[in-house]
Amino acid sequence: MISRFFRPIKEGFYGVGRHAAMSISSASAVTITLLIISIFLIFSFNLQQFTKDVEQSVQIAVMIDYAYEEQSQMDKIGIDIGNIEGVNEVKFSSKEDEFQYYLDGFEDEAQKEVFEPFREDNPMHNAYYVSVEDGSNLKVVADQIAQIEGVDSIDYGGESAVVLVNALNSIRTGGGILAGALSLLAIFLIQNTIKLTIFARSDEIAIMRNVGAKNGFIRSPFLIEGIIIGILGSIIPIMLSVFGYIYLYRIMDGVIISKMFVMIPPHPFVLKIGGILLLIGMAVGLVGSFFSVNKYLRWKR
Amino acid sequence: MIELIHASKRYPNGVNALNDINLKIDQGEFVYIIGPTGSGKSTLIKLLDGEEIPSSGTVNVVGINVGKLRHSKVPLYRRNIGVVFQDYRLLPRKTVFENIAYALEVIGMRKDMIRLRVRQVMNLVGLDDKGNSFPSELSGGQQQRVAIARAIANKPKVLIADEPTGNLDPAMSDEIMALLQKINREEQTTIVMVTHDLPLVNKHKKRTIVLEEGHIVADLQQGGYVQHD
Repeated sequence: MISRFFRPIKEGFYGVGRHAAMSISSASAVTITLLIISIFLIFSFNLQQFTKDVEQSVQIAVMIDYAYEEQSQMDKIGIDIGNIEGVNEVKFSSKEDEFQYYLDGFEDEAQKEVFEPFREDNPMHNAYYVSVEDGSNLKVVADQIAQIEGVDSIDYGGESAVVLVNALNSIRTGGGILAGALSLLAIFLIQNTIKLTIFARSDEIAIMRNVGAKNGFIRSPFLIEGIIIGILGSIIPIMLSVFGYIYLYRIMDGVIISKMFVMIPPHPFVLKIGGILLLIGMAVGLVGSFFSVNKYLRWKR
Repeated sequence: MIELIHASKRYPNGVNALNDINLKIDQGEFVYIIGPTGSGKSTLIKLLDGEEIPSSGTVNVVGINVGKLRHSKVPLYRRNIGVVFQDYRLLPRKTVFENIAYALEVIGMRKDMIRLRVRQVMNLVGLDDKGNSFPSELSGGQQQRVAIARAIANKPKVLIADEPTGNLDPAMSDEIMALLQKINREEQTTIVMVTHDLPLVNKHKKRTIVLEEGHIVADLQQGGYVQHD
């Protein structure tokens, strides 16, 4: 029973060893592909992070009309806002808070003094600060909030905020599509390489069937071989992206261009990238050999 | 044991390799199938080991309708028969021992029993000391003996040999023949041997079936065959 489980693993390792040249060529196809994928992964994870940061910093300021300052009225407005689809979080800020925030905006103590008398007769509005789930919905949500009874005015940074969020989103979508297409191309490339390596052994597969080996029995060592090749091929890309990203993070001081684009800290991000690359390598090796072996299993009856 | 009923094989390219073959071979028989190139000998072998499906008629071996087997079931059927090919078909990256053991591993035999049986058949074919050699290190006759050892390792009821002496000199051929007869005698294995080696057929007389252009033209129970032009 145990030998039935370990046989394909043992045979898989022997297969890699006895066909060293073929294994190396397949593994290097995996390596090249994973290098490209790793660059895309690092790029798109960071972009996703930027976009999230920007979206979180973009919020809608909702000023409440002076005529609706009863607590029950304000609560109702808060609930109404919360019920709008796409709203992530609603935070209340009282007019006193708003006044203090306004005063804190001045650095000069003297200037603060000037406004101090207004504390009694506060000209500020009670306000809600609303963040949205999806930055591209900003305008839609803002328009709906403006319709609510008791809302005096809203402010969400206007068109420019929407444009920025949309731009980041489309870069992300484009990058995702590109990475996806690239992965497909990679699987195709690797499958072809593995097919070539197995083609050299199509006679072997036919002989195995001749002596009565079932398809699964023939296939399993090849699948293990594919996984091993995938792991071997992912070593260099993992090393490069782990140490490369740590190095890049250090020389860039953790930001790209300006403070607005903060890079994802290397730990544990590089481990995540390494893990993903390893999984992709194994999966691609497995899928590649699966298709290739099947082709040659069907070669002869 | 082996029965072909109105079996015909027509290849997609239009060649009629076998026409309406009716043939019955009993348990424990040793049968030659002879005939010139293109007479359908190889096709007959392919029908018997399940590599080809008859275009019409049925092929029964050890009670299994070979032509109706699904692709995935063909290997299971082959555990009942042993096949020896002219080109040996040994796994080049496995040693002699591993090659023979492989046929037993695939049927899930226990390790210690495999070791025992492999030694047994290696002794039977006279290759006791070649266990760790790779096929490329052996002579043609030795490789053919490894192939025969592999074919009989799981004690098949039928052994099919496709020109087993095709690549060997007469002395070697006699050795292989002696071996096959020993297997036929000692293990009660039915043997179907395809050959075009007429001197051999006349020297070791057995039931002889003559194929020509896809037809059985003679079935000589007493054996021996004189070519008539």
